[in-house]
Amino acid sequence: MSKKRDIAIIGIGVTKFGELFHQSYDDLVREAALQAVADAGIDLDEIQAGWLSTAFPEIGVFKGRSGMDLVEPLNLYGIPVTRVSNFCASGADAIRNAANALAAGECDVAMALGVEKLRDRAPQDSIVKMMVELSHPFYQKGFTAAGTFAVYAKRMMHEYGVTNEDIASISVKNHYHGTLNEKAHHRIACSLEQVLGSPMVADPLTVMDSCPTTDGAACVIMVRAGDVDKSKHRPVFIDGIGLSVSTGWDLPFFDSKHDFLSFQATIDAAAMAYRQAGIEKPIDEIDLVEVHDCFSIVELLTYEDLGLCKRGEAKDMIRGKATRWGGEIPVNVSGGLLSCGHPVGATGVRMVVEVASHLRGTAGDRQVKGAKRGVTHNIGGPGAIASVIVLNNEN
Amino acid sequence: MTYIKKYGIALPHFRISDKVLHPRLGREVLHAVCYADEDIITLAWQAAEKLGDEVDAVLFATTTPVFKGRYHASYLADLLGLPDGITALDVGTTHRAGTDALLLADALITGGKHGNVLVVASSISYPAIGKEVQTPFGHGAVAMILSKDKGIAQITHAASYSEAFAEEFVYKGGQVKYDARFAGTAGFLSNMKKVLAGLTPQGTSSLIINSAYVKLIFNALKKGGYDLEKQVAPDKLVPRFGFLGAAHGLLRLAFALENTPGISVLVDYNNGSNVITFDVAKNTAPVSSDSGNTTAIASYQDYLTLRKRGKFDGRGYESIEMFSSEMMQEREKSQFLRLKAFECKSCGTVYYLKAARCNNCKGTDFREKQLSKTGTVYTLTSEYYFPISFPPANMIVIDLDGGGRITVQQTDDMYQDEHTKISIGDKVKLVLRKMMENDKKPNYFWKCVKL
Repeated sequence: MSKKRDIAIIGIGVTKFGELFHQSYDDLVREAALQAVADAGIDLDEIQAGWLSTAFPEIGVFKGRSGMDLVEPLNLYGIPVTRVSNFCASGADAIRNAANALAAGECDVAMALGVEKLRDRAPQDSIVKMMVELSHPFYQKGFTAAGTFAVYAKRMMHEYGVTNEDIASISVKNHYHGTLNEKAHHRIACSLEQVLGSPMVADPLTVMDSCPTTDGAACVIMVRAGDVDKSKHRPVFIDGIGLSVSTGWDLPFFDSKHDFLSFQATIDAAAMAYRQAGIEKPIDEIDLVEVHDCFSIVELLTYEDLGLCKRGEAKDMIRGKATRWGGEIPVNVSGGLLSCGHPVGATGVRMVVEVASHLRGTAGDRQVKGAKRGVTHNIGGPGAIASVIVLNNEN
Repeated sequence: MTYIKKYGIALPHFRISDKVLHPRLGREVLHAVCYADEDIITLAWQAAEKLGDEVDAVLFATTTPVFKGRYHASYLADLLGLPDGITALDVGTTHRAGTDALLLADALITGGKHGNVLVVASSISYPAIGKEVQTPFGHGAVAMILSKDKGIAQITHAASYSEAFAEEFVYKGGQVKYDARFAGTAGFLSNMKKVLAGLTPQGTSSLIINSAYVKLIFNALKKGGYDLEKQVAPDKLVPRFGFLGAAHGLLRLAFALENTPGISVLVDYNNGSNVITFDVAKNTAPVSSDSGNTTAIASYQDYLTLRKRGKFDGRGYESIEMFSSEMMQEREKSQFLRLKAFECKSCGTVYYLKAARCNNCKGTDFREKQLSKTGTVYTLTSEYYFPISFPPANMIVIDLDGGGRITVQQTDDMYQDEHTKISIGDKVKLVLRKMMENDKKPNYFWKCVKL
């Protein structure tokens, strides 16, 4: 099993998330990278290795098929750069790879950048089309991205008495949080009635239970914990990184053992990250969490998978407002994927940038007061893959 | 001697009334109409799937082929998991094709080279838009196993009387149709004289004449000693299902197998006649038939949508070009089309997708496992943004009886009401359909209907 890597984040950058018709893929790379480098107070040439996360070049603009697409926009030639692809968890995996290289001594200053340019194409050219046209002729034909998660919602409702209102409450909460984040795609608060009354996408998930199709980029600059004197701002330390592939894209739909009540990958990744970080009782030891709420049901069941509550009790957390800003453990104070959108490769990096800004105390209106330790949760391949990262403002 | 061993009938779930097709001109009759994901292959499969696999030849009859340059018979044989290299032939050209195949099967068996021959007739044809009430169209398939071994009926005589005169045909792409009275006399009556010369009314329980001209022969039959009331079978099927084209002759034969004891004679007329005399030992119901449970199509617009005709503000199913790797389909057909899964030899866990080792016990030895086609719904969703004629597309995760899980679309759910609504815990049945509704490539896979 992996051990704590002793890595620090010294620079963070994130673009506005949205339909960025005026910016290209390369523009987004430049904006996030230069922001992060400036934030770290270093020169671009001090970057010794890079990891680029773009999940779906083929449904975007064919950019991000290799690490070269990080180097070219920055004129950052002559260093090792690798493209990381692990479905929607690509962003967190870029950070994991950078951390590993730093720990191994391959480089001293690393860049992990996630970027996705989805809106240079009309929305129907995205995941739906990929599923229908490009996947195996027989597997799951008929599923959209929403559908692959809606089957979890249906089973949660059947098994645990989760209601449509519980699921919609996640969306209401995160859209409220989004109003506090100037970089979120949607900055509009909404009511329970609006979520429940918005068009159905995949029963019981509505349009407002679904994250939008979004462009964006995020970047972090990382060093070994011993080198934090390079940092201009307060550094943030990585206490633990877990990543696990615990089922397949197709397997749950063809294997009776899968219960559609949890993501084993989240449970496994959390166990790794918590062990490295020495976390035993997450609810007491974590101050905020960024969860992969691509669809609102995912946030709900992740409360259980991350050990924030017992099995079947996630609905009580949302009913009790424990995960709202100001609550016992705020979840997705950025607005989550539901408000920020989901530029796939960028999401996992954006989450780390978000939590890091709280741990530094620079998150502005939505600052979680006194936050010392935060967690990010990034999943991919309808729950097959999950990454959990624990961040701390002390080492 | 040749026997009819068993038979199956496949009729689509949907019916449209002539009155719906045309409120003023339509009559009180029904047409069986296939769903957007059915074709002659799926209907043929449905008729034949439960007839067993002890077959050494397949004859496929249709006048509405979906393939050119490929045998429907060998495709069906493959779907049914029949042995490679089996005799598999297509028969077409006229609506007599179903009984043409029956005559050929009889010849194959009496010739001594074949013991059990599967005969399938399947037909889906639509009239021109706006002309629906002028044609008693209908869709369906009939399958029979003919055998040298004793069965439910014996074929005592089989003959064919050719006729050069055809009243309606296509010549180089153009439709030729003669005056109905001219066609009735020069074609039908002339041919019937030859047919009747070889028949006697004595001992015949039922004379089944499969032709729209049947009334023209009534006088001659009466003179010949037939009791029109008792011996000449009216076509009770056309008002219920429509005229099933190449399958209609076999459908009328099947009706007699179920309902008429003793010796019957089927005269299947179309550009000549096939005459089949058969002796029913014991009236027997078809092995498979879904005609009991049907849904009425409510509007002409719905009918057009099923036909995929006209412009619809919808999901553009025609534009979806499904990736359908021929290599993949050929390599994995036993798994995907015949539902052969993998069962762990040590703990019995069933995997539909191939695995290197068992998730349960880490065993590495698997045996082939035939999955069942019934199961219980584990979870589900309705997809509102999926390209399909009648959204939402319901996606159902099913735990199959006897082990194994599969995830498929629901079908025959044009009207999503209490009859079709599926919930967790419901029992469902798998049926073979086209995965995508577009017709650009063969893409057959399983879907489910509520039991």
